[in-house]
Amino acid sequence: MNATHKKVCNRACRVLFGAMLFGVFSLPALGQNPRLDIKNLEPLAKKAAEVVDVNLDGSLLRLASKFMTDEDDREGLAIIKNLKGIYVKSFTFDKPGDYTTADVEAIRSQLQTPPWSRIVSARSRHDGETTEVYLMTAGEGGNILGMAIICAEPKELSVVNIVGPIDMDKLSKLEGKMGIPRLGEDGKESSPKPEGHHEKP
Amino acid sequence: MRNRSEFRDRALLVLVLLLLLPAAARAADREFHSLVERMSAYFEKRPMRFVGWLNFVANRFTSEGVSHIQMVIFDDIDTSRLPPDEEFESSLERLIGPSYQPFVRVHDVRGGDWNLIYIRETREESFEMLIVSIDSTDAVLIKMQVKPDAMHEWVDEPVKKGRDSRYSANDFR
Repeated sequence: MNATHKKVCNRACRVLFGAMLFGVFSLPALGQNPRLDIKNLEPLAKKAAEVVDVNLDGSLLRLASKFMTDEDDREGLAIIKNLKGIYVKSFTFDKPGDYTTADVEAIRSQLQTPPWSRIVSARSRHDGETTEVYLMTAGEGGNILGMAIICAEPKELSVVNIVGPIDMDKLSKLEGKMGIPRLGEDGKESSPKPEGHHEKP
Repeated sequence: MRNRSEFRDRALLVLVLLLLLPAAARAADREFHSLVERMSAYFEKRPMRFVGWLNFVANRFTSEGVSHIQMVIFDDIDTSRLPPDEEFESSLERLIGPSYQPFVRVHDVRGGDWNLIYIRETREESFEMLIVSIDSTDAVLIKMQVKPDAMHEWVDEPVKKGRDSRYSANDFR
C-alpha cells in the first residue's frame, strides 16, 4: 500500500467516523422526544414570587404505583404504570401582568413542531384563565407519546409535561394529583376533547 | 450433641444479625454524617450543637409513617456567598450525590427561601427523604424514612406537601 493510498484510506476512515458521530448525536434530534425543556422557563423565575418544580420520573412513578392500591387509585395506576415521567413547573406572581404571553413562548415554541398538536385551547372570560393541551403522537392518529399542558392564570402559570403513553379518557383521574392542575372549572372533572378552541363561560 | 450444635448455630445466627443490624444503621449514620460535613464546608459553618434532643422529640412525636428523623441546623449562614439562583440547585445536587433524585423544589423568590426535597428508595420498600430548607439566615437538613402510606400523600399533593415541609422546617429554627 503506497503513501497516497494510505492517506486516502485514513481520510475516508475519518469522514466515515465523523459521519457516524454526527449520526449518533443527531438521532435524538430526529427522534420524537416528548420531554420538554422546561428549564427554558427559568428566566421567568426572576419575575415570579414563587417557583415550584415537581419531578416524578420513571423510577419515582414506579414507586408511586406501589402504593396505589385503593379502589379509587386503580384507574390512576393504570395511567401511571406506563408513564416515563411527569414534570411540573409552576410560577406564582404577585400581581396580574407580571408575566406576558411572550414569556410562555419558550415552551410554546417547542410545541409548534409537527409531532405536537394542540387538542384543547380553553379560555375563561370570567377569570382570564387559559388552558392549552398539546399531544405528541407517533404519526397521524398513532399512539400518544406525551402530553403538555399550559395553564395560565393572571397570577399563576403552570406547565405540565407528561412523558409516555396516556389514555386520554382516564386523564381526568390524575387532575389535581402529582402537581397536575385541575383542567375542569372549579375542580369539576373534565376530559380534554380533541377540538380546536372553546371558551369557558 | 445435636442439640448443642443446633443451639450453637442459632446463637451464631443471632450474633450475626445483632452485628449486622447496627452495622447497617452505622453505615446510614456515616453517610448522613458525611453529607453534614459536605454541607458544613458548603455553608462554611459548623452545624448547631445540642439538637439531639430535637431529633429525639421529632422521632417520638412525628406523624404516622415517618421515622428515623435526623436533623441538622446550620444557623447564621451567609447566603450571599451561595451560588446564584440558576446555579444553586445543581450545586446542591452535586453535594447530595446522585443516589437521591430531585422530587419537589419550592423557591420563594422574594424571600430567598429554598425548599428542596430529594428522595430515594430503600431496601425495605420504603423511601428515604432528604429535605434541604434554606432561608436568608439558616439552613435545615432533614433526613427521614417515609413508609409507602405516608409517601402516598407526597405524590398526591407534592406542591402542598413541599410548601408544608418548608413551614415544618421553620418550626425547628
